[in-house]
Amino acid sequence: MISSAMGIWNYCIVFILMMIGLFLVIGRKNFLKKIVGLTIFQTSVFLLYITFGKITGATPPILNEALDTVYSNPLPHVLILTAIVVGVATTALGLSLVLRINSEYGSIEEDDISAQDLVEYHDEIETSKEFNTKFIK
Amino acid sequence: MISELLINAFLVTVMLAIAIALLKTRTVIFTVILTSAYSLVAALMFITLDAVDVAFTEASVGAGISTILFLAAMAYLPKKEEENFSNQFLPALSCIILGAILIWCSYDLPEIGLISSPIHQHIVPDYILGSRNDIGIPNIVTSVLASYRGYDTFGETIVVFTAGVAVLVLLQNNKKNPKNTKSKINKIDKKVG
Repeated sequence: MISSAMGIWNYCIVFILMMIGLFLVIGRKNFLKKIVGLTIFQTSVFLLYITFGKITGATPPILNEALDTVYSNPLPHVLILTAIVVGVATTALGLSLVLRINSEYGSIEEDDISAQDLVEYHDEIETSKEFNTKFIK
Repeated sequence: MISELLINAFLVTVMLAIAIALLKTRTVIFTVILTSAYSLVAALMFITLDAVDVAFTEASVGAGISTILFLAAMAYLPKKEEENFSNQFLPALSCIILGAILIWCSYDLPEIGLISSPIHQHIVPDYILGSRNDIGIPNIVTSVLASYRGYDTFGETIVVFTAGVAVLVLLQNNKKNPKNTKSKINKIDKKVG
């Protein structure tokens, strides 16, 4: 009874953590916060996978002499090992994109950047209008 | 067994507290340190869930290297997050609905720690036996990673290599260009008022 309640508690919190990560990605306008949100989301998915692989009373999956030992499931561990390393690679890529955006726009706030883009677009239209009127005359 | 579950529940609650603190903070350095703490608590959680390899990878790579990356990037970025409360309602609502659906579905998931769960039945007993008899590496995770699923690991290396090349290409011409930025900001000021 208590163990099943605990199990449900773990799953619930993992899903809430996922949603907090998702909210940081889609709700916040700061790009660094978005990448942090991705990290939070990733780690909670890792936690979900590792929770599936757990067997009560088992040992970590390292072989010992006794033949009747119960080991926890090693397969999710392998998948998550791969995912952690790939996750850091994506974090590095995202951070370098943010740095590039910052050096181009001088800001990492989404609203600021779209406002600058809008101004630039407006300017381009005006210059093209001037260009057209000059040449048509 | 109950104590193990209690420790689990406690650690996962600590993670929830850190995530809520992350939602509230607007200072970049706090964000980075809280992310690092989150990864470390996750590593503790992995130890209680018997995933020792994952735990030390998370502690070194997730909490170590990614924090260093964040700190290195932070040096070039604004130190404060701007406060804007516009358009927070729709993302929050969609996250709450999605979270509620996921939690509702989680009642159908198998209970934690049962040996009769479907995940433990399919191929894993073969891996455990084969690791002892065929491959001869005591650490089952290593034998699966490097032998049974070696191609996955190869693909992972390619992904990491590609990401490294992409980072180098992106940061190749990364100079600060304040003149350009200032002129743009002046333009915006003119347009706005």
